[in-house]
Amino acid sequence: MEFAGRFVAAINDLVAGARLAPLWWRVGIEQTVAKYRRTVLGPFWLASSTLATAFSLSIVFGSIFHQNLNDSFPFIMSGVVSWSITGGMLVEGSSIFLMGAGLMQVQKVPVSFHAYLHIDRMMINFAHQIVAFWAVMLLMRNFPIPHWQLLLSLPLVTLIAVLIGIPLGMISIRYRDMNYLVGFVGQALFMLTPVFWRKSQVSGKMAWIATYNPFAHLLEIVRQPLLGHPAPLNDWIASLIFLAFSAVLAVGSLTLYRRRVVFWL
Amino acid sequence: MAISVTLSGVTLDYALYSVRAQSLRNAVLNLAVGGRLMAGQNDITVVRALNGISFKLQEGDRLGLVGHNGSGKTSLLKVLAGIYEPTAGIVDVKGRISSMIAMGAGLDPDATGLQNIKNLAMMQLVPRREIERRVPEIVAFSELGAFINMPFKTYSTGMMARLMFSVITSTSADILIMDEWVSAGDADFQHKARDRLSNIVDNAKIVVIASHDMHTIRRVCNKVLAMDSGRPSFFGPADEWAQMNGLA
Repeated sequence: MEFAGRFVAAINDLVAGARLAPLWWRVGIEQTVAKYRRTVLGPFWLASSTLATAFSLSIVFGSIFHQNLNDSFPFIMSGVVSWSITGGMLVEGSSIFLMGAGLMQVQKVPVSFHAYLHIDRMMINFAHQIVAFWAVMLLMRNFPIPHWQLLLSLPLVTLIAVLIGIPLGMISIRYRDMNYLVGFVGQALFMLTPVFWRKSQVSGKMAWIATYNPFAHLLEIVRQPLLGHPAPLNDWIASLIFLAFSAVLAVGSLTLYRRRVVFWL
Repeated sequence: MAISVTLSGVTLDYALYSVRAQSLRNAVLNLAVGGRLMAGQNDITVVRALNGISFKLQEGDRLGLVGHNGSGKTSLLKVLAGIYEPTAGIVDVKGRISSMIAMGAGLDPDATGLQNIKNLAMMQLVPRREIERRVPEIVAFSELGAFINMPFKTYSTGMMARLMFSVITSTSADILIMDEWVSAGDADFQHKARDRLSNIVDNAKIVVIASHDMHTIRRVCNKVLAMDSGRPSFFGPADEWAQMNGLA
């Protein structure tokens, strides 16, 4: 009975967090604006690191693979932009409760509220990068009209990020080593996921690093529509499986540790 | 619906994790050796912060929490505010709570006082339109004048207290929970604050306030809960408590 009660409380927590949407939406915007404060270029800085990464990778890998910049740049930049919310959810997720620590200790909000808020900020950040991406594409006279699938993949990715962020965030505050580990895994995954290289470029033996990497599939359902193509069905299926997996982890961790999180801070 | 706060047998334990208990290496080692070798070396200290607290507050009650540092006042406030769930016992709160437990919590040091007022009100779930409507009154009450447009980090502790107090007491919550920071304001403001708290009580609300300032408690509160190492050592009318302590 005890367990059933906790399970219901976990579900309620997720629902209550979602219902606070007007709050985390406004707080997310306010916190993003707070980051701009006293900077001259403001929003530009949010997109700058993505732009810099995309440019450098395109120049280096474009020349290694003998591709011209017009082909490689849209592919690599859309990959880096999409990575910020797909693979980026690992690093973002692990800091959910670290960022929310102050609020958690002074005000009662559902545990999931912090996940919604943090991922909301991640998506606002992503919006900046998308604008930068489109601006650069316009400058290159190579503007890809987004495919409608983007309207499905963005909510799906957001939901996965919120759900997987809850267990990740919990582990990270309970075991402080985890932050470093996640940063390191995130960096490694960025290289191991076809963000700036193509699956077709890897030899058959190594193809598994793209096949069994859930982030590779998540990346594709965002990147392909951004470039104006539908994403392959198997990427969609893999992403839905990933969603189910994160939902189980989120509900499980909330059921077991919802009440304790605040003491781990 | 009658507003009330009822606690019965509330006990709160918290586990404090040492550096070692927060290390992943040790958790993994524990697995590897079947948890036996390092058993008892987890360095998790369990602290009983509250021990069997029961009381009932009704509309119009202003409860003063007193006790030494570390006696459990803030823990109790956090349990009342719903931030901590008690380990045992029942907390039954009827009414909407507004709590401001830590000074400066949730405030952006680089934003202006005005922006922070809006942020605080937002966190208390006040709709945007209503915030706009109430801001002039909040600003007036805080008496911060031109400082309201200065970054929050330039504020003194007393000014922060003024700003936070002005916001929290202007919300339409039924139950107000405040920690000791309230007494940071100067004499003038203390006087205004007491008046306002009395007004709130006239509107049939419950106030719970922790303070070391006996005079604040004496003037504002009608009930007192004295805490000692997490246990209640006195609960009753403020007058009785004042007499016992020679403050009457």
